[in-house]
Amino acid sequence: MAFPLPRGITPSEIAFLAEMEMVTVVPRQRLEGLELLGGLVEPLVPPRRASIPLWLALLLKRQRRANIMPPAWLHPEPLGLILEVESQHQDYKNAFSPPPPLPGQPSVRDRDLEPTARPQYTPDGDRYYAAPPFLPQNTAQPVSSFSREPPALPFHWVEVSNMLLDAASDDLVDPDQIRRQLKDLREVRMAKMRSGVDVLDAAATGGGGVALTGVGAMEVGEERGFVAGVVDNLRKIGASKEQARREQMAEQRANGGYDGTQDEEEDYMEF
Amino acid sequence: MDIDDILASVDRGAGASPESAALDHQLLTRFWVAERAVSEVLPWPVPLMERMMERVRRQIETIEDLAASSADTDSSITTTTTHNPNLNLRLSILQTDLARTQYLLRSLLRQRLSKLSKHSMHYLVQLASRNKNPLLASSSSQPTQTTTSSSQASTQNLHPQDSVPDISAVSDPTPLSQPEAAFLHAHQSLLAGHYAGSFLGAFPRQLRRLDDNAGGTSMIQAPETREVVFVRCLGVEVPVAVGTADADGMEDDDEEEIGVTMRMGDVWVVRWEGCESELQLCSPVPPFHA
Repeated sequence: MAFPLPRGITPSEIAFLAEMEMVTVVPRQRLEGLELLGGLVEPLVPPRRASIPLWLALLLKRQRRANIMPPAWLHPEPLGLILEVESQHQDYKNAFSPPPPLPGQPSVRDRDLEPTARPQYTPDGDRYYAAPPFLPQNTAQPVSSFSREPPALPFHWVEVSNMLLDAASDDLVDPDQIRRQLKDLREVRMAKMRSGVDVLDAAATGGGGVALTGVGAMEVGEERGFVAGVVDNLRKIGASKEQARREQMAEQRANGGYDGTQDEEEDYMEF
Repeated sequence: MDIDDILASVDRGAGASPESAALDHQLLTRFWVAERAVSEVLPWPVPLMERMMERVRRQIETIEDLAASSADTDSSITTTTTHNPNLNLRLSILQTDLARTQYLLRSLLRQRLSKLSKHSMHYLVQLASRNKNPLLASSSSQPTQTTTSSSQASTQNLHPQDSVPDISAVSDPTPLSQPEAAFLHAHQSLLAGHYAGSFLGAFPRQLRRLDDNAGGTSMIQAPETREVVFVRCLGVEVPVAVGTADADGMEDDDEEEIGVTMRMGDVWVVRWEGCESELQLCSPVPPFHA
């Protein structure tokens, strides 16, 4: 076979992706700027903070050439807040806590504002919207802006926290407490993921879908095989029904009577 | 500055600036994630891949130059090594970065090859039919209609190899790259030859075709476009389309139904066929995650 790995990203590949996240480091020695294939790395000058990719930060950390500043969310207090939202809050009984907003998206506090997507342009002239791991979701932010924005778990939270606890636990504040909180978060969220299996039927119908907003990359990776398998089998079971429904709708359309509202209410479901 | 230098700097072009390097890296990463997650082969991004390959080539040269210079200083004058103590660190960082990019490219290509060899007949027929007759292009994804010659199959003296479409005249191999198209044809020819030698040769003539569609069932396996994928919505709103390509091959874009609508920042589990058109139209593009 040309390629032994199953389709869909495997856990080690997710970790590979997470290593592209930018983190804040305090260098302990000078290093001139480097032109990497992944972009420019700014020059490291000792007491000044710098943003570099996680893989590079870990490489420098292992050689004791830099200290990693923990991401704004990887402290006991924000994790405690998120855990509270995740386990106690009424609105999030069956949903994950809201993810950090994308650029141009209003934060959870003022959700009435209209989002405005701000694209970049590629060299080929196409529009491009940045997404994790290429958003600064794991940098150490100044305290002032952090108090305005409620804490949120970034897309790659499992991988980044694991790697930091593994390689740079001396840079974290109270790593044991963080470890406990992360474990609690994992368990709460995994329970939600499992209890949501009931609504997967919605994803099996054409044009339907199941919202998993706020889910983490590793959580998707864990559930991917299961969810895809369940939905695939449900789709096969319902294939003849769907075909019949489609023919019926085509007939209605031919008669000019279809108004497109007949299955609206069952399509939108959340975990 | 010499005129040659100016020309050289122009030659390096817009693709050579560090900002575009970062952007291309992000595009490549996203393309890799999408290719790994989706059942079909995605259109080959020619300009992006050309820029990436060029950059990888230049980076290898840079690393070789650096390594050579460090070797020189080591052997000739040992005192100069203290002049640049970071050289080894820089080298190892550059090499790690290079290896990461090469991993992305390699994994991407191997995933594509694996899809191609799994559904080789499907893609060959798609390529051949589109280039032979533009009118067939819209239905080229429907393998049931493309085997025009199968009705006369029984009258000819057929080898399984003859059912492999000839794509030597194909000028535009979209969604594949040119080498991929060549690989596809060579692979399928070898496979057909092998089948003929091992068992198909013993069959009656009318049963020897690899693209047989007798009895209304096509033997060509197409990738499953109704599989689910995980998508994140990056535009303000992205509607999920239903049934853009029906099983009976009717495509009517004007009357396509709209299912649920994804809002910005949402992550959804939806069918690939529902958001495929959005990916290809690029407005707005949902990326594919994990």
